[in-house]
Amino acid sequence: MGIVIAVISGKGGVGKTTAVANVGLGIAQQGKRCIVLDFDIGQRNLDMILGLENRVVYDMIHVMDGDASLQQALIRSKVDNNLYFLAASQSKDKSVLDSEKIEKLVRNLKKEFDFVILDAPAGIESGYEHTIEFADKAIVVVNPEVSSIRDSDRAIGILDSKSQRVKEGKEVGKYLIINRIVPEMVRSGQMLRSEDILDILDIKLLGKVPEDRGVIDASNQGKPVILNKDSLAGAAYKRIASRLCGEDIKMVDIESEGGGLFKKLTGMFK
Amino acid sequence: MFGLFRKKSSSSIAKDRLTIAIMSDRENTENYAFMDEMKAEIIAVVKKYMGVRKVEVRKEVVGEIEALSIDVQLEKES
Repeated sequence: MGIVIAVISGKGGVGKTTAVANVGLGIAQQGKRCIVLDFDIGQRNLDMILGLENRVVYDMIHVMDGDASLQQALIRSKVDNNLYFLAASQSKDKSVLDSEKIEKLVRNLKKEFDFVILDAPAGIESGYEHTIEFADKAIVVVNPEVSSIRDSDRAIGILDSKSQRVKEGKEVGKYLIINRIVPEMVRSGQMLRSEDILDILDIKLLGKVPEDRGVIDASNQGKPVILNKDSLAGAAYKRIASRLCGEDIKMVDIESEGGGLFKKLTGMFK
Repeated sequence: MFGLFRKKSSSSIAKDRLTIAIMSDRENTENYAFMDEMKAEIIAVVKKYMGVRKVEVRKEVVGEIEALSIDVQLEKES
């Protein structure tokens, strides 16, 4: 039986979909069977980031409504045989999501995959509540910036009240990815430190991802940045995926001065 | 010259502002999850004995003490 992880954020544009693509691919690279689902109905994006937009024939709503089988709708990644993708519906409105249908879909996917990763709509949008309902764990993506952090706290609040697991008296594990950290700004006191963000949100840290121009270059090509061996963000996502697979990977202090000798030394141990 | 040392970094200003904003957000939303259900149950209990028009619940925080004030409005007996 696999595990269902919802990737959530308060507001949009914090890099949630990028996180889903890279974490999913990273998990697949560890030899686990992984499926990523785009739940952002009407704003399909994950297909572009994964470079699979031309392969989409059937989407999630087709499967939920019984118009296509899972086998027909699942798309296998070009770069890793362990990674599959199910597209969001582009045309229909978000009200098409319905608890019973989602539960059935998620239950079926759990049987087939080790990891089922849901790319949720932003927390302020409708459709968000449905995506988190059947998640075992949630990954919260924030930027080190006030509006993203404030909104994510509200999204976490909704998770804590609407999740099926919470209603059953169990806990939903919550883990934070801080994305787009600019180390120089943190050092000069112009950007919130990770410790402060964790304090404010009261949540466990899953990983820190530095701002990296390679991310846009990667999405231009539809090749997640984790495939770029020289990318710092890619390396960060690799560590995050390993942690999710149960490996004990030390948190890298990406904010401290990383040039010169330090970089060479860590490079030696790769 | 001293101004340079006294000036707060913008990141610590952000932390202070966020802490306060999130605390007040939480106070306003924390009630919501179970509130409707709780109101319905209170109404059901009171209705066994008399007519209820409306139940209002407010959270009040005075210093360290948090209190719920529950206001049960009864139906006029006719």
